[in-house]
Amino acid sequence: MNGMTALALGYLGMLVALGVWTWTVMSRGRDIERRLASTEAALGLKDGNVDPVLDDKR
Amino acid sequence: MNMLQSPQASGSIMGRRAGRTCLAVGYLGAATALALAFLWVPSVPNDAFESPEAQRIFYWHVPSAWMAMIAFGVLFVGSALWFTRRSALGWRLHVAGSEAGLATGLMAIWSGCVWGAAEWGVPWDWTDVRLNTFGLLTLLAMLLVLGRRAQPDGVESRDTFATAGLFGFILVPVTYVATRIWQIRHPGPVIASGDGGGSLAPEMGALLGFATLSFTVLIVGHLMESVHLTSLEQRLDRLQGKLDGGATE
Repeated sequence: MNGMTALALGYLGMLVALGVWTWTVMSRGRDIERRLASTEAALGLKDGNVDPVLDDKR
Repeated sequence: MNMLQSPQASGSIMGRRAGRTCLAVGYLGAATALALAFLWVPSVPNDAFESPEAQRIFYWHVPSAWMAMIAFGVLFVGSALWFTRRSALGWRLHVAGSEAGLATGLMAIWSGCVWGAAEWGVPWDWTDVRLNTFGLLTLLAMLLVLGRRAQPDGVESRDTFATAGLFGFILVPVTYVATRIWQIRHPGPVIASGDGGGSLAPEMGALLGFATLSFTVLIVGHLMESVHLTSLEQRLDRLQGKLDGGATE
């Protein structure tokens, strides 16, 4: 394998890795939003913004 | 938009959209920059490097290291905010900074190893200060990410991780000045060297600037999205605790 082929493979690997990282973050967000919506529906709650550690401290 | 949504919820949705837009724009920009680096940018003279074509890795390596420095800066700010003010946003920034620092640090190290193997004949040099302080920073980010997943979330564990984030930041300025003081293997600064001149061809400088800008947009998107995700995870934990508590009563 010559240098340019190795470089092209390295570049493609880099793009795939960046894409997987970005996709993972977005799909993780969608998954949490779905779970959150179903939990909120089960409890009959609306959207909010809390930090459980700080809430426990108060 | 639903007219009954609270201002807080509307702000959250706007922030999420902005984060995802930055992610998409940054990724497209990064892909374009890498394609141009491979297909368009001129090569360097054969006598300048052992492996002239390997210099194309710079358009990936330099922006990755830049992103890592942004991420470590966010980690430091978040750790300081948590430690001094017990700020919920500070903790979210700490989480976002450590995750992004790990990912971008590994990208910079991997690309550096590829270049080192082609140019120096070895992927790593244990005597080079720049390489090793940057490696330590990435290890610190790994410790924070893995440690947080292994420990129950609480004030004490957050204090411990925030302390590591605060003191670990000392390595950032050391990494920055390392090649100016102890130039062993890693090349010294090519741009912003402080001597008034740069050795980059105009096309190379333009593309490096474009790549750095694109990667910056990408890391800003990742940080925004990660802060938002941590906020959602905290709310989910809280609600599941309530649900579990209700089920056992």
